[in-house]
Amino acid sequence: MSDDILFELLHSEIISYTLQNADEKDKEKKDEDLSNLEYIGFSTGYRIIERLTKEMARFKEELDTMKFICTDFWSAVYKKQIDNLRTNHQGVYVLQDNSFRFLSRMSSGKQYLELAPQYVTFTCGVIRGSLANLNIQCLVTAEVQSLPSVKFHIQVQRS
Amino acid sequence: MTVHNIYIFDRVGTLLYYQEWNRLKHSGMTKEEEAKLTYGMLFSIKSFVNRISPTDTKEGFLFYRTSKYSLHYLETPSGLKFVLNTDNHSQGIRDLLQQIYKEIFVEYVVRNPLCNLNEPIQSELFKTKLDAYIKQSSVFLTKSM
Repeated sequence: MSDDILFELLHSEIISYTLQNADEKDKEKKDEDLSNLEYIGFSTGYRIIERLTKEMARFKEELDTMKFICTDFWSAVYKKQIDNLRTNHQGVYVLQDNSFRFLSRMSSGKQYLELAPQYVTFTCGVIRGSLANLNIQCLVTAEVQSLPSVKFHIQVQRS
Repeated sequence: MTVHNIYIFDRVGTLLYYQEWNRLKHSGMTKEEEAKLTYGMLFSIKSFVNRISPTDTKEGFLFYRTSKYSLHYLETPSGLKFVLNTDNHSQGIRDLLQQIYKEIFVEYVVRNPLCNLNEPIQSELFKTKLDAYIKQSSVFLTKSM
């Protein structure tokens, strides 16, 4: 219980800290720069995957890897499983979490919608980092239509 | 049994939140003035109780009762004050206030990074959760008489 709240509070402090720093660097740039946040997530995800998969067999297919992300990985980090996984079998996956941990206490509706991107960016990076370490290069974006539900779009880059 | 209204104050007396349910008589002043008056009275009662007590007080001021209503008071170690007015038949309000603090305030205000502490609460989710919590509690029964 107590480590849950530590992670949550630290997460929100990291967000306000990185955004504040970005503000000071480029005062004229209006767009909030979330790339630092995404990169912090990336390195976190890259490392955490070593620990989570240390006793697992290799994944046979890409879909197995995604299933692992939706179940074991998500319950380890976000204390629940992904509610819905969809794919077009051509490298695009959509992971839907109907009650995302960082948003579930903020609002159930449209309030704070414009600030939601700040709170999902880190997780985009975590997913990208994890998959990168499992040898899947991809782009991860998130979509929030109504809090606390989030859709993560994963686009695998084929070479 | 019925619940009239709730005030939440912070350590320095800012009104963080106010909501009312069955309040038939209004004080005829603005919400802010009324909150200041309430806070001032509570502050005085608290120090009065602490001074006048013949033995060491543990919890200090808990509630007072008039012929028409009871005011229940809960102060947390961090100085937050939860004040709930009910009719005189209500029981177990202290536990209710504890639960409101623990399950509603901490969950939906403290754990919401977009809620600034020490400022009036804007979160819609907090509002709906508190309203639902009060309405489903055994104390909340509108007088049908």
